[in-house]
Amino acid sequence: MASLETPLFSLKNISKYFTRVVANNNISFDIRRGEVLALLGENGAGKSTIMKILYGLYQMDEGEILKDGNPIQIDSPKDAIKNGIAMIQQHFSLVSAHTVTENIILGSKRGRIDLRTASREVGEMADKYHFDLDPNALIRDLDVGVQQKVEILKTMFQEAQLLIMDEPTAVLTPQESENLMIFVRQFAAAGHSVIFITHKLKEVMSVADRIIVMRDGEVHGDLLCQETNESELSRLMIGRDLIAPHKPEAVKQMDDKNGLVVRHLSSKEKETVSLSDINFTIKPGEILGVAGVSGNGQEELCEVLIGARAHTTGQVILNYEDLTDLSLRERIAKGIGYVPVNRYRDAFVMSMSLAENMFLKSTYDPVWQRHGFINFSQLNRQTDASILEYNIKAPGADAVTGSLSGGNQQKMLLAREVRLAKSLLILNQPTRGLDLGAINNVHTTILKAREENKCILLISTELSEIFMLSDRIAVMYKGRIVGIYEPKELNTERIGLLMAGFDDHQDEEVAL
Amino acid sequence: MIINLLSRAITMSTPLFFGSVSEVVAERSGVMVTAIEGIFLLGAWGGFVGTYLWGNAIFGLLLAMICGIAVAAIYGVVTIFMKQHQVVTGTALNILAIGFCAFFQRVLFGIPQIPLQIQPLSVIPIPILSEIPVLGELFFNKNILTYVAYVIIPIIHYMLYHTSLGLAIRSSGENPQAADVAGINVNRLRFLTVLFAGMMGGIAGAFYSVGFLGMFTTNMIGGRGWIAFAICFLGNWQITGAVIGTFVFGLAEALAIYMQSIGGGGFFPNELFIAFPYILTIVLTVMRRNFSVPANLGIPYIKEG
Repeated sequence: MASLETPLFSLKNISKYFTRVVANNNISFDIRRGEVLALLGENGAGKSTIMKILYGLYQMDEGEILKDGNPIQIDSPKDAIKNGIAMIQQHFSLVSAHTVTENIILGSKRGRIDLRTASREVGEMADKYHFDLDPNALIRDLDVGVQQKVEILKTMFQEAQLLIMDEPTAVLTPQESENLMIFVRQFAAAGHSVIFITHKLKEVMSVADRIIVMRDGEVHGDLLCQETNESELSRLMIGRDLIAPHKPEAVKQMDDKNGLVVRHLSSKEKETVSLSDINFTIKPGEILGVAGVSGNGQEELCEVLIGARAHTTGQVILNYEDLTDLSLRERIAKGIGYVPVNRYRDAFVMSMSLAENMFLKSTYDPVWQRHGFINFSQLNRQTDASILEYNIKAPGADAVTGSLSGGNQQKMLLAREVRLAKSLLILNQPTRGLDLGAINNVHTTILKAREENKCILLISTELSEIFMLSDRIAVMYKGRIVGIYEPKELNTERIGLLMAGFDDHQDEEVAL
Repeated sequence: MIINLLSRAITMSTPLFFGSVSEVVAERSGVMVTAIEGIFLLGAWGGFVGTYLWGNAIFGLLLAMICGIAVAAIYGVVTIFMKQHQVVTGTALNILAIGFCAFFQRVLFGIPQIPLQIQPLSVIPIPILSEIPVLGELFFNKNILTYVAYVIIPIIHYMLYHTSLGLAIRSSGENPQAADVAGINVNRLRFLTVLFAGMMGGIAGAFYSVGFLGMFTTNMIGGRGWIAFAICFLGNWQITGAVIGTFVFGLAEALAIYMQSIGGGGFFPNELFIAFPYILTIVLTVMRRNFSVPANLGIPYIKEG
C-alpha cells in the first residue's frame, strides 16, 4: 500500500503543442487523495487541455503521469478509466436518444446486457446519492441539471477514484450549483479526489482545498484555499488588475422615441410552446437584462424579435412602428442589431474576411455599393475604422475571421451589430466563453451603446453580468417572463428561485 | 398460387435480408455503406468465379465474402480513417465495381459462345418441418442461404439491443464523443461494422449468382443493393423494420416475376412489373414520416488533439 504522502496522481513537466500555439508548457502538480483541487484560469489558459491529457483525450508531447508514484501510460479514455479517472466534459457526453441507464452502463458493462437489472442497479445508485432520477427516462427529455447527475452517476459506475469536472456549474442555477458543491464535498470526504475546472473565483473559494492557477498554458500558483483570497487569485489568473467599467446612473431620455414595446408575444415550435405571452418595454437608453437558465426560450425570443422565427400571436413595436409583419431584412433596416449566442453558427462566415463579414448583414445598403458593385475601398475603410475603434487585434480588414481569437471575433461582431443597431441592440450571452479582459471590453461597449440612447436587451446566464449592467431585470422560465424587477428588489437567492420556476409569492416567503 | 407467391417472396427476400440488416448495423454505428451496390456486385461475381473455378459453391460463397469485405475495407479506410465523403466514395466504388467485374470476367473467361453456367444452390427441404402444410412450403423448402438468414437475423437483433457491443454501436452513431469518452474506440468499431456489412453484402450478392440464377452478368444486381440501402431507411434503422421492409420488397419482386411469367394478362407491359420494386422504393421513401436517424449518421468522427 502506498503511503498517504504519495499523491494519487502526479503530473510531471507536461507540455502540449498545437500546430501554432503552446497549450501547456511544463505543467507539474499533484493530486492527493480526498482533496478537492480547483483548476482556475481564463479561457485558453490550458486548463481543459491538461485535463484532457490526463483523461487520454489528448496526447502529451512531453512529460509523464505518475499514479501512486509509478509512471503510467494513458493513451485513451479507456486507459484513464482503468486507472480510476473519470471526467465530465463541459459539453456533456450523453447519447440523447438513449435512456439514463443505457448511458450510464455504456463502456462499463461487458457482454450481455439485461436492461431491467441494469436499470434497477442505476436506480439504487441514484437513491444512494439522493439523486431524483428515473433510470428509464430518455436523456433528451431531461433538464441539463438532471443530465449532469446522469454524468455523475456514470462516473460512480466506473468506480472512479478521481473525478474531473470541466466547468460543471456553467449550466446550473445557483441552487443546483450549491447542491453540486455539497456532493463534491461528500465525494471527497469519502476519500476520492475531485478536480474542479472553473474560472469563477467564488466557487473556488467555497469548494476547493487547494487551487492551481493557470495562465497562458503555465501554472502560476499552487495555493491552499485558506491561505489565499479572491483578489490574489484574480491577479494570478489575469496577470494584471482589472478595472470594472463604470455605469452611469441615469441616461437622459429623448422625447420623440418610446423604444421597444412587446405585447403578448407567443411562439410555437411544432406542438410545443416555446414562448408564451411575453410582455415588456425597453426605453431608449435602458438595458433590460433577461436572466434565466439557458434553454428557457431566450434564443427563441431573440429570433422572434429579429424576425428569424415565426410567432403565433402578439406585437412588436419599435419607436411607434409596428414591426410585427416585417421580414428579417426590413427589421435590420429599422435599426436592430443582434449578437447571437453562437457566432459560429449565426453571425459570421469564419472563412471569410473581416470586411466581408462586416458587409454580410447589410448587403442591400447603398453605402457599400458603387455602380452596383461592391465598394471595397469604402468597406475596408469602415472595417479598419472599427478595428481601431474597438481595439481589435487583427492584421487588417482582409484578415480571415476564423483566425482571430474568440474575444476579438466577439469585438468584431459587436462593432458590426452596434453599427446596425440604430434603435435596438439585442445581445444573447455576449460574454459567453470570453476571458475577463474581453468581458470587460464587451461591458464597456454595451454601456456606451446605452449612453447613445439605444434600447438594449441583454440576455445572460451570468447573474453578475445581469446585476452589473441592467436597469431592470426580467426572469425567464419555460418560455415565459415570470417577472420584471428593479435590480434592488432581487438578490442571488431570490433570482435563483425564480430561474428555477418557483412561484413569486412562494419565493417571497423564502427570501424575506 | 398465393402460397407459391409468398414462398417465392421469402426466397427473393433472402439477399435483401443480408444486405439491409447489416446496413442497419453499420448505419447505427454512424456509417452509411453507400458502396453496398458495389459490394453486392462483387459478391455476385466472386460467388460465380469461386463456384465455377473450384466447382463447389462453398468456395464461391467464401470468395464472395472476401470480395465483399475487400470493397468494404477500401470504403471503410477512405471514409472512416481518411474522413472522405461517404456518398462520393461509395459512388466511386460502385462504378469501379462494374468495371472491375467486367474486366476480370473477360480476363478469366474470354468471350464464351454460350453463357457460362454453374449449378445453382440446391433446395434443401428440412426433414419433418418441410412436411408441414403451407408453412413447410413457405419457410422450410429453401436453399442454405435462406436458412442462414433465419438464424443470423435474431442473433444480430440480440447483439444490437441486448449486448454491450450493440450499445457501443448505437452510441457511436448517436454521439461518438460520448462513446469515445466512455472508452470505446469509435473508428475501429465503425470499421468493423462496415467490414461486417461487406461480408453480409458479399453473401447477398452471391445469392443472385450462385444461389438463384447460376450465372453472372455485370448488370445482374440491378440496383438491389440500393434497395437494401433504402430498406434500412424505410425500416427506421430497426432490425424488425428492416425485416418487414425486406419482405415487402421480396413480395414485390416475386409478384413482378409472376406477372411476367403470365404475361401480365396481356394488358400491362412487362417493363412495368420489372420496375415495380423500384417504384415501390420511391413511393415508400416519399411517404415516410417518422425518422429516428442516428444523429451522427454519415459524419466522420474526428478526434481533436
